[in-house]
Formats: sequence, C-alpha cells, structure tokens
Amino acid sequence: MKWMKNLKTYTPPAFTVIRDDYRCIRCKACVEQCSFDATFYDEEENRVWNWDANCVSCNRCAAICPTEAITIEKRDYSYRRNYSWESHIDSLKKRAIFGGTPVVSMGNDKPYKIYWDHILLNASQVTNPSIDPLREPMELKTFLGKKPHNIEIGDDALKTILSPQLEIDIPIMFAAMSYGALSYNVVEALGRAAREMGTFYNSGEGGLNKDHYKFKGNIIVQVASGRFGVHKPYLDVGSAIEIKIGQGAKPGIGGHLPGEKVTETISETRMMPQGSDAISPAPHHDVYSIEDLRQLIYALKEATEYTKPVIVKIAAVHNVAAIASGVARAGADILCIDGFKGGTGASPQVIRDNVGLPIEFALAVVDERLRNEGIRQDVSIVASGGIRNSMDAVKAIALGADAVYIGTAALLAIGCTMCQQCHTGKCAWGITTQDPHLSKRVNPDIASERLINLLKVWALEIKETMGAMGINSIESLRGNRLNLRGIDLTDREMEILGILPAGE
Amino acid sequence: MKIVKINEDNCIYCHLCEVACVVEHSQSKDIIKAFKREEKPTARCGVEFNYPLSLSVMCRHCDDAPCMEACQNGAMHRDDRGYVVVNEDKCVGCWMCVMACPYGVIKRDTRRDVWGLSTKCDSCPDRDVPACVEACPNNALMFEEI
Amino acid sequence: MKIVIIGNSVAGINAVEAVREKDKISEIKVISDEQTRAYSHPLLPNFVVGDVSRAEERFYYRERNFYEKHNVKTLLGRRAVKIFPKNKYVELDNEEKVDYDKLLIACGGKPFVPSMKGVELNGVHTLTNIKAADKLKADLPNIEHCVVVGGGLIGSKIAEKLAKKGVKVTLVELMRRVLFPVLDDAGADYVHKELKNLGVKLVLEDSVVELKGDKRVKEVVLSSGKTIKANSVIVAVGVRPNLDFVADSDIEVNKGIIVNDYMQTNIDTIFAAGDVVEAYDIVISQKRPIPILPLAARQGRVAGLNIIDSNVKYKGGFPTNSITIGNISFISMGIVDSDEFEVLKIKKDGEYRKFLIHDDKLIGAILVGNIEKAGMFNWMIQNRFDVSWIKDTFLNSDFGWKYFNKAFRVLRLDRKIK
Repeated sequence: MKWMKNLKTYTPPAFTVIRDDYRCIRCKACVEQCSFDATFYDEEENRVWNWDANCVSCNRCAAICPTEAITIEKRDYSYRRNYSWESHIDSLKKRAIFGGTPVVSMGNDKPYKIYWDHILLNASQVTNPSIDPLREPMELKTFLGKKPHNIEIGDDALKTILSPQLEIDIPIMFAAMSYGALSYNVVEALGRAAREMGTFYNSGEGGLNKDHYKFKGNIIVQVASGRFGVHKPYLDVGSAIEIKIGQGAKPGIGGHLPGEKVTETISETRMMPQGSDAISPAPHHDVYSIEDLRQLIYALKEATEYTKPVIVKIAAVHNVAAIASGVARAGADILCIDGFKGGTGASPQVIRDNVGLPIEFALAVVDERLRNEGIRQDVSIVASGGIRNSMDAVKAIALGADAVYIGTAALLAIGCTMCQQCHTGKCAWGITTQDPHLSKRVNPDIASERLINLLKVWALEIKETMGAMGINSIESLRGNRLNLRGIDLTDREMEILGILPAGE
Repeated sequence: MKIVKINEDNCIYCHLCEVACVVEHSQSKDIIKAFKREEKPTARCGVEFNYPLSLSVMCRHCDDAPCMEACQNGAMHRDDRGYVVVNEDKCVGCWMCVMACPYGVIKRDTRRDVWGLSTKCDSCPDRDVPACVEACPNNALMFEEI
Repeated sequence: MKIVIIGNSVAGINAVEAVREKDKISEIKVISDEQTRAYSHPLLPNFVVGDVSRAEERFYYRERNFYEKHNVKTLLGRRAVKIFPKNKYVELDNEEKVDYDKLLIACGGKPFVPSMKGVELNGVHTLTNIKAADKLKADLPNIEHCVVVGGGLIGSKIAEKLAKKGVKVTLVELMRRVLFPVLDDAGADYVHKELKNLGVKLVLEDSVVELKGDKRVKEVVLSSGKTIKANSVIVAVGVRPNLDFVADSDIEVNKGIIVNDYMQTNIDTIFAAGDVVEAYDIVISQKRPIPILPLAARQGRVAGLNIIDSNVKYKGGFPTNSITIGNISFISMGIVDSDEFEVLKIKKDGEYRKFLIHDDKLIGAILVGNIEKAGMFNWMIQNRFDVSWIKDTFLNSDFGWKYFNKAFRVLRLDRKIK
C-alpha cells in the first residue's frame, strides 16, 4: 500500500500534478526524480501516476520532463470562503492530527510589506554627470572591519596599527548555511564561486568538512551556541570568525538540523552522534550579557592572535539598535543584522512567520544609532535576510550597510524552487539533502558557474545604477540616503528609514 | 578521438540519455513519434543503478575492439570517423560481439524477422555532439578527447 | 617485401589488415583453394537452408573491394601443396612457384570424419566450407530424413535449421549431451528442449558405425545396434587443423602448427594463425588448437603485425562460444564443466548462469537466456582478474558496472586500464 496516501489526515492535497497523456512517453524520468514519493509508474496500466498529497510543488518533474508533459498547479481552495479562517484550517488540523508544531524551511512567506519595493533610487541629470561603468573605472572593493577614528603618519608611513580587515571585491557574500543543511556539492560550489569572485562564503554553524579547508582565504567560519565542529584548525582556516547570536528566520531560538540529515560525514564534521537532531541551544550559555559577549569575542581573538576580524550576527528584533550599539562596544569588528525574511533550513512555523523585523528598518535604525553615538566606524555592517536582487543590495548599502549576505538567492541560482522542504532532507534539487543519491543532482561545476554568473551580473547591475547616480565608488554610496526616496510609505515609516518621500 | 566521458558522480538517474538516444536513432527524430508511433529503437546507452550510484554506460570505442575481432562477417566495423559501428544490413545477430565486448555495452535487438541485430553506440554520425551528451542535464556525460 | 598468405579466411584477412595498417608497399599474395572471396563460415548452416545467399553482402567476411583496397593479389582456386622454406617459395597444385619473404599459414581446419563404413555414399555431407555447403544445398530437395552426426556447434545449428525447414532430423551425439565441451548438463538441457520442440530427435551416448545404401544412403547403423532410416547424413564431428601440406616440411607440428607468442613457427620467416595452429590457452595454461573465430582474428592480426616486425605478443586465448538454438541464446567461455573448481550457479526463470572460479580467478562461465554483459566476464577471464570481491554479484541478472569498485570502474570506463 505504498501508493496510498495517508487518509487519516483528512486533508485535501495542496497541489495537483497534471500530465498531458499525449505528451507523456512513459520515460519515467519524473518517477526517478521525485524524492517525495508523489510519482509512480504502474507497469500493468502503463501509466505514470501521482499521489498529489505527497507533492510539494518542487517542480523537479516538470523541469526534467523531456516532453514538457507536466504542469503542477496549486489546487484551488475548495473550502467555503472564510477570510479570517481559510489559511488556518489545514495548519490547525496539522497540529491537531500530528500533535506537534510544524517545522518549516526557507524564509517567512507571509505577505508582509516589502520595503525595498517602496524605495526608489536617484539618477543624475545635467547637473551631475552620470558614469558609464563599461567605459570608466568603477570601484566595488570593500573592506570590512573596525576603522580607526584617526590615523597617524610618521616617517612617510602609516603609524596607526589597523584592525584586521576582510577585503571583498564585491559587497556581496554568501550567508551562513551549514554543511549539513546544505549538501557537500553545494558547499563546494559556494567555495569555488567565492574564490573566483574574491568574496567569502560562510561555513554556518556546522563546522567545516576537511575537503573544504582548501577554500582557506574565502571562508568565514561561524561559532554558534551549539559549537558544532569548532576547534583550533577550524578557527584558523577562517578569514573571519562569526559569532551567531541569532538568525532572522527564527530569532530567539537556536539552529536545528533534523537527525535525518546527520549522516556519517556530517556527524564527523559536527563532532556529534549520527542520526540525532543537532539542536543548538537558544542562547549561548556563556553569553548572558554584553560583557559576556565581549569575553567571547576576545576569547576568539586571543585564540587567533588578533589576526582575524570577529563578526557578530544578530537577528533583527525590536530593540536591535541598542543591541547593535552594545555589540559594537563589546569589540565586534563587523556586525551582521539578519532580517525576518531570511531563510532557514528548519524552524518552527510560528517563529518564522511572526518574529523579527524587516531588515530595511533594522538597518536604518542601527546605522543611525551608531552614527549618533559616534561609533559607526568601529563596526562594519552586513545586512542580510531577504536580499533578492542587486537593487536590494544597492538600497541596503545606501541605507547604511557595508555589504550584504545572500543565502536564498544563492540557492535559487543553483536550482532551488523554494518548495520549503529543506528540513525533510529530501530536497529533489539536491541542495538541502545529505542523501548521496539526491545530492549528486548538484554538479559543483555547473553550480559554481551559475553562482559566479549571478555575482558578475549583480556586480554589473550595481555599477550601472551607481553610475546612473553619478557615483564611481561603492564608498560614496554607503549611507547615502539622499539617493533614496520612499513611495507608498507613511511619514513614520520614512522617518524611521531616514529617507524623504518621492517628490521631496 | 572524442568519446563520451562518463562522470558517474554527476549522474542523476533520469534516463534522459536513453530517451535522447532513442529519439536520435528513430526514423522521425521526433520524441513523441519515436516513442508512441514508431517501433521504438533500442537505446544504445544503458543506465545502471545501485543506490546511491547510478551511471550511464555506452561503447568506449576501443582501439583494439574485441567486438570487431569476434564479428563473423564484418558487420561490426570501424567507420571513417574512427568509431566502432554496426552495419545493420550485415548483422546476423550471432551475439559474438556481446560475448566479446569487455564493457558489456552491446545490446540485443531481436525484433527483425530473420536476423537479430546488435545495437550499440554509434557516436551519433549525424551530430557534432552525441544526443546523450546534449541531453544530460547534469554534465554526467561529456564528449571529450580520450 | 613479399608476403604470402595461405588461406583466405578470418586469420588471413586480419593479417592483411594488420600489415596494411603500417605497410602500404609490400606485395601481399593470398592463396586459397576456394574460389569465393572470404565469407562467413558460421553462416554456412543459414546458407544451406537459404536464409542467406551468395548474392547477399551479409554472407561475406569483408566487402567486395577488400582486395583492391588493401592492394592484395589473390590466387583463388589454387591449393598450396608444399612449402620450401630454404628457397622461400610455395608450390601450388598447378606447379606454380610463389616466392615469399614472409609466409603466413592460415589455412584453417578440415572436417574430421570418423571412420565409418559407407561414407562415400551419396547423401553424406560435411559442412565446413562453401563447397560442402553448396553440395548439401543442392541435395536439400532430396532430403527427407537427415541424421546429423555430432552435436557440436555446427551439428546443433544445422539440425535446428533443417528442422525449421520441415526436414526430419535425428541428431546423434557420442556424449551424454549436445555441445559437450561448451555447456554443462543443465545448460545443454535447454538446448535439448529447444531442439525437441523443433522436432529434432536426439540420440545421445551413441555413435554411427555404418551407413547403408546402394548409391544413396538409406539407413544409418549405430554402435548400439539401433538403425535409423535416413536418406542423408551430415557429419559434423568437428574440425582438425589442416596440416596436409606442412606434414613433410620442417615446420614443427603437434596437433596443430606450433607457434611462439609472436605466432611464428620454428622457421623465422613462417608464421601461422587461426584454426591451423595450437596457441596458448590461458585458462588451462598450455598450448592447444582452439578453432574459434575471434581467436583466429586475433592471431591473424598478431601474425600480420609481427610479419612487419611490430613485435606484438599474442597474450593467449580460451574457447568462447555464442550460439542461439530456437529462442534461447547461449554463451560459454573457458572451462565450463568441472568439479575441481569453485562453482557459482543459479537457474531461474528462463535463465541459467554458471561461473567457475579457481584461485580467485574466473576461468569459465555459462550464460543461458540472459547473455547481457557476457563480455565483461570474458574480459575477467582474459585478464586473470581477481574476482574474490565481486563474484557474489555474478549471479544477479542485472550484473554490471554498478557492482565494481568505483576507482576501478572509473579507470576502466575512462580507458585508462585496457
């Protein structure tokens, strides 16, 4: 009865797989590609058959079908219309039937306002010439780290000792996504792309596979509350060390890697038993105050002989500005703020969908606060969580960020269709799975090439818009809110964002 | 000489190499017609699966091809391009090549009236790059100098 | 250089091709007592019953213009009668002398006809060359009941073909099963069944002692005393190396012409290849004649290359056979019926697989029904491959590359290991 759906759930399927029988040649490519047991071949009837209830709409079958015979549709909502209840009926039932809170993946998918789409960029006309990036030099190089308040020069040389800096050729880095959440090949592709583009990828909190030590020089290593896979060689291989306090998708709770994904190599890398859930504690139990954080930062600096900048990553929460100020004073070189649209490999649905702040607001208030306190140069700011395109990056930098992290966007480049099944470990696109058969679906050669293409295109797009604004260096765009205007925003929203309304 | 290089680490077990091979060797070269209207040709590549491994194997076009040695009437021969191919008009289906092929990549097609037909990769004489290589979505098959 | 090749079949033709790969200048002469261009010997049973005719390209070993393309002079219809190694010439049946610098003897085998009374009667046939096949074919309309003597490859095949034509056929075999050296009892059972289904009567563990009749054979007497009414007999007991014209020369001969690893006889300038020689059998580790086509081709090629001093060694071979009787295909390789070795076998739905292993090396195999990937076993036998770690998978119907260890598989498929 493998084919039968679970009738005890009394839930109608969410998606339907429509197969054009004229086009279907029974090649069974879709059958082999479906990792969610939604597609079968019936020899007796010579038909390819679906159990729609299992379909997660990852579109792998539709993408691979050589005759384009497959369409996946969202099943039309068939309950009686009820504005206040309709999106809650099935989700309530799920809790009632399974007795647990649903775990979900990817970012917050609720229709909250996306402020990037309400911010417009400026361009030069007549009074200030625009610049053509294909003809004139244009600088995207960025240094992340603590900058001195003033510098001293003597004997024709810089006397001031500078803090360690992260040098990136483009202001875009790959966000923390652990080996464990991601498959080996995806990490490999991220590493190769980071190396090629002169930027960094972040190991995430799951340690670093021995094979990936080769990316030394392009890795940021993360230390989170679970301390998975943290040891001296791990710290040494990173160009910077990131302390993860919180994550935009699930502020207030720790990382979660379901046991299904803790395979032999993952358990080795993470230094934990195979098959058991890797659940990081919600807080760092040695960090209950800013003073404690300072101790951890300096412990890590001490361990690496003050050669590497330390990043502190916090989720965007209500009093993010005050926390950021504390983090800066605790000695962090770089502050990463993760907005509530940020992705995750696994999070309780209620947290993902209801906790946190939009990155646009968090970024604006943190930048403002640090400037007011005169400590903005003590930390660089990396914005993350929902950077969907190059223009989001430009707007983030204009709002005050030094650079951005992209996570979801990078996965999309590799093939992700955002079906939100990362936590199942059955990713049909081979991205968030440890199944050795499924993970082959990401060819690191192809994936790294796509990532490189994406970053190159984004870099060019950033240069184009900078050129349009008459700016030839990313330095001049940073915190340049005069080039931003709000549209369809309330006065209060624009006040917090620190931007003028369109037309003013 | 270029042959199809097999990168098993990238094989995703989609069988599209076989599909492409069938279409390429069909009369119509149309995917729907090849599978639904014509007597479908046998795929020259064969996908093997043994979790988590999968790979597609096809003729390696040996320099000293044992299949040619074993062929009783020269049906198995080397064409002008240097690839080992079967002359369908000559093949009598004695399966001596099946017995000789060290890669096990010659398949038997027993649908002809009198004679069986040994079926193997011909490296797509009508194309620059073999159909299977072009079809492989994950570069598990590459057409490379060997 | 003058190269003379006696014999116009598999070994000779492959030698010509090997020589011409590098040497376009030397003169090559091919001598054969047959008028026809090189044809496919295994197709003779098909030829007899009319599946294939002289008019079809399929019947021939190489294309019509082979000799012109390879610049070969043919002396067809001429039989070599004697070799004069000291003066380096071959004498033909018309007393013509053909000079050579290098000679290749590739004149194949001749049918072995056991001693029985009455072999000179009409209606008694052999089937090893086209002349005999023509004779049999011409006689075919007269044949009502045929006794095939010998259940070897040719015997079984012609029995099958004649039975399909509607001729009453009795197959007499000395041993307890047909295809005795090629299959074991279980494997031969499939052949017996298929032959019986076609109406062939099998007489096992018996032999023919006398053929009776006036002009044409009428009755066949077996050693058991039984008699069979038949108006035709096909003697297909086997072939022996054709040593007629080397018998009184200085060329060393045992059961076949003795050759070294370079297919060279004891006389430097004389090479030999094909069914006429006894070459090294790597499975039993000694020299013996193995009259099969793939080895003739390989030996011919090696001889050809060595004639032009390429210094290529013949690595040895072993018997391999592929035959289809009725609807079932059989492939057998090496030693197939012995209790002295480790035996793996399985019989399942329409399929029989058997493997013999000695010292962790595969030394023989039988595949019945499902013969896919047989060549992989052939490779393992030929290369003395250590099968201790993979033999457990041999009995799987889907045996293939997937069962090999990855490093080895990748090297093989990348052609890094031959």
